[in-house]
Amino acid sequence: MRVFWTALALLAALLAQTALGRVVPMQARVFDPFLLVVVYCGLTGGEVHGMLAGAAAGWVQDVHFGGRILGLSGLSKLLVGFGIGMGSTRFHLGEPGARLLVLMVATIVDAVLFGQLAQVFDVQAYELSPLGLIARAVVNGAVGMVVFETMDRQRRRWAPRA
Amino acid sequence: MARVLDTRRSRFLLGGLVLAHLVVISRQVDRGGGTSLLGQTVFAVLSPLQRMVGAGLGAVLATWSGYVDLRHVYRENQDLRVRMAALEMELQRQQDRLREADRLREIADVKPSLPFDTLLAQVIATDGVPWYRTVTLNRGRADGIALNAPVISTTGVVGRVVAVGPRAAKVQLLLDHESGLGVRIERSRITAVVSGQAGFADHVGNMLAMKFVPVLADVTVGDVVVTSGLDRMFPKGLMVGRVQSVKATGGLFKDILVAPSAHFERLEELMVVRARPDGLELTEEVRPPEPKAVPRGAAKTSPATR
Repeated sequence: MRVFWTALALLAALLAQTALGRVVPMQARVFDPFLLVVVYCGLTGGEVHGMLAGAAAGWVQDVHFGGRILGLSGLSKLLVGFGIGMGSTRFHLGEPGARLLVLMVATIVDAVLFGQLAQVFDVQAYELSPLGLIARAVVNGAVGMVVFETMDRQRRRWAPRA
Repeated sequence: MARVLDTRRSRFLLGGLVLAHLVVISRQVDRGGGTSLLGQTVFAVLSPLQRMVGAGLGAVLATWSGYVDLRHVYRENQDLRVRMAALEMELQRQQDRLREADRLREIADVKPSLPFDTLLAQVIATDGVPWYRTVTLNRGRADGIALNAPVISTTGVVGRVVAVGPRAAKVQLLLDHESGLGVRIERSRITAVVSGQAGFADHVGNMLAMKFVPVLADVTVGDVVVTSGLDRMFPKGLMVGRVQSVKATGGLFKDILVAPSAHFERLEELMVVRARPDGLELTEEVRPPEPKAVPRGAAKTSPATR
C-alpha cells in the first residue's frame, strides 16, 4: 500500500511539474515536487522508504527532466531520502518548524549533491546561484508545509477507517 | 537486535543502491550518454501521461487565451466605437467650420464690391410649414434692418424682409408663391415680374415663374435675368437667375420658368441691404458671381419657342 501511495505521489509530482512547466516555465524551476515526495516519505516511512522513494523520484525526474546522463538526481535524492529517513528515526521531526527546516535543508543538500555529482561525472549542468538556491528552498519549504499538512489531515481521516 | 538488523539491512541497501547508481552513471559517461533500458522504460510508461497533461493544459490555456483575447477585442471594439463616434463628430464640426469659412469668404469677397451697405445675417430658422417659403434671420430692427429690405446671397437675390423684430427678421423667399420681383432680361432688356411657384405640393418646386412676357418678346433659354429696380425695393442689376424654359401658350404671354441663381436649398449666411440707393444699377463687373452650374435638372426647352 505504501508503494502504491508513493507511486501515486510521484505520478502527481510528475504531472505537477509538467503542468507548471507549461503554465509558468521560468518559475517552475524554483519548485521541486519530487523532493517533497522524498522528504515526506523519509519523514513518515523511515530511511528505507525515504531512500527508495528518493531513488524512484530522482530517476523519474532524470528521465523526464534530466540531461544526457541519467541517475544524478536519482543518486542525490536517494541520499537525501536516506538522510531524512535516518534523521526522522533519531529526531522528532513531526513539528511544522522542524519539517520546514528539513525541507529547506533537503533542498540545499539535494542541489549541492547534484552539483557535486555533476562535477564528478563531468556533466555540464546549470549551477544555482546562492540566491536561487535560497529561493528554491523557501518555495519548497512553503509549498511543502501546505502539502504535508494536507497529507497529514488526509492520513488522519483515513486512519480510523483502516 | 531487530533494530540493529534493520539498520544493517538499510545500510546494505543504501550501499547497493549507491553502487548501482554509480555503475549506471559511469556506464553512461563511458558511452557518452544515452538512455538505459530502465530509463527508456520509465520514459515510455510515463511520457504519455505527461503528453496528456501537456495537451490538456494546452487546450485550457488556448481556450483561456482565446477568451481573454476576445474580451480584450470586445473592450477594444467598444473603445474604438466611442472614439470613432467622437472623431466623426469632430470631423463633422471641422467640416462645418470649413464650409462656414468658405461661405464667409465668399461673402467677404462679394460684399466690398456691392455699391450699397449690407449687413451680414445668419439664418436661424427655416420655414416650418409647407405653404410658405420663409426664413428667419438673426438680425432685426436694432441692427438697422427695415421692412421690405432686399436680402441677397453671394449668388443672387434671395427675397425681402416681410417682418422685423428687435433682434430677428423674417424673409419671404423668392420661391414663395406670394413673392414678386421686378426683373429684366439682361440681353433684350425686356421687363417682367417673377414670383415663386412653390406652394403646397407644388410640383415645380424651386423654379420661379416669369410673368407678363409678351409672346413676341425675345427670350431664350439661358438668358440672364436681373432685377429691374422698377419695384422700388430691389436695386437694379442684381442677379436673379437664368431662363430655364420658354413655352408659348395660347394667350398673350409666354410661359417662362427661371432657375434662381441663389441656392435656396442651403441658405445660411445672407446679406441684408440696409440702404437702397435709388437709380443705382450694378454693372456686370460688380455683380456677384453666378452659380457654377444650373442647379435643377436639365433645361425644359421647347425649340419652337426659342
